[in-house]
Amino acid sequence: MVTAKKTKKTHESINNRLALVMKSGKYTLGYKTVLKSLRSSKGKLIIIANNCPPLRKSEIEYYAMLAKVGVHHFNGNNVDLGTACGKYYRVCCLSIIDPGDSDIIKSMPGDQVLVAATVASEVVVSVAVVTIEVA
Amino acid sequence: MVKFLKPNKAVVLLQGRYAGRKAVIIRSFDDGTRDRPYGHCLVAGIAKYPKKVIRKDSAKKTAKKSRVKAFIKLVNYNHIMPTRYTLDVDLKEVVSVDSLQSRDKKVTAAKETKARLEERFKTGKNRWFFTKLRF
Repeated sequence: MVTAKKTKKTHESINNRLALVMKSGKYTLGYKTVLKSLRSSKGKLIIIANNCPPLRKSEIEYYAMLAKVGVHHFNGNNVDLGTACGKYYRVCCLSIIDPGDSDIIKSMPGDQVLVAATVASEVVVSVAVVTIEVA
Repeated sequence: MVKFLKPNKAVVLLQGRYAGRKAVIIRSFDDGTRDRPYGHCLVAGIAKYPKKVIRKDSAKKTAKKSRVKAFIKLVNYNHIMPTRYTLDVDLKEVVSVDSLQSRDKKVTAAKETKARLEERFKTGKNRWFFTKLRF
C-alpha cells in the first residue's frame, strides 16, 4: 500500500469533509454495517482507520474491490476517526452512503484498490476463513 | 457501488458444517423473506472435493477420484465470503427453494448438481473452484 506523506493540510480537509458528511449526509459506522452497505451496493466511500486489524482491513478492501467502491485509509487510529466523526467512541471503519453537501467522494478516493492487488489480498482472505473457522 | 452477490458468483462458506467449502450462488434474496428476514442466498457447493488425479491413474481410478459430492443450502450473507471468481453452470432449474422442502427432493437436486459439477470438473475449466481451500 503506497501512502504518500500526508500533509497536515489534506488531513485537515478530510476531517472537514467528514464533519460535513456527518452533518448533512448519511453514513454508517462499524465493521458489520460497512459490509452490509457494500453488499447492498449502498456504500460510496469506505474509510478505514490505520490501526484496523490487517485481516479485517483486507477483507473490507476485497469487498470494496468487488463493489468497485473507493477505500480511504484514514491517517489516524480508531480513536481519531471517532473524534473526526464527532463521536465519543472509537470507529474503526465507516461507510459513507450519501455525502450530502460534501465533496468527499469526488476529491478523496485517492487510494482505490486495484485489481492487481486483489491476488495478494485473497491469500489474506483465505486466512480469514481459517480464523473464522477456528474461532 | 456494483452489486456483486449475483447468481453464478463463487463464494466460500464461512460458518456451519460446510465452512471452508466453495459454493456458487444460484439465487439471492437481498431483502430476505418472511421466514428469513435477512439477506440470504441459495447456494450449491462442493461437500467433498474431487481428489487429485495423476497421469499414472487408470481409467477406473480417474473416474473414482473425479467424484464430487454436492450440497444445496440457504445461507446468510454474513456467513459467506464472496470471491472474484464466477462459475457459470446452469443450475437454476435444478435447484430451487422448494427443492429444499423435503428430503427426497433435496437428494435428487443434489444428485443432479453433482452430475453437472462433475462434468464441469472433467472439462478442466474453473480449476480454482474445484481445489480445496487449504487452511
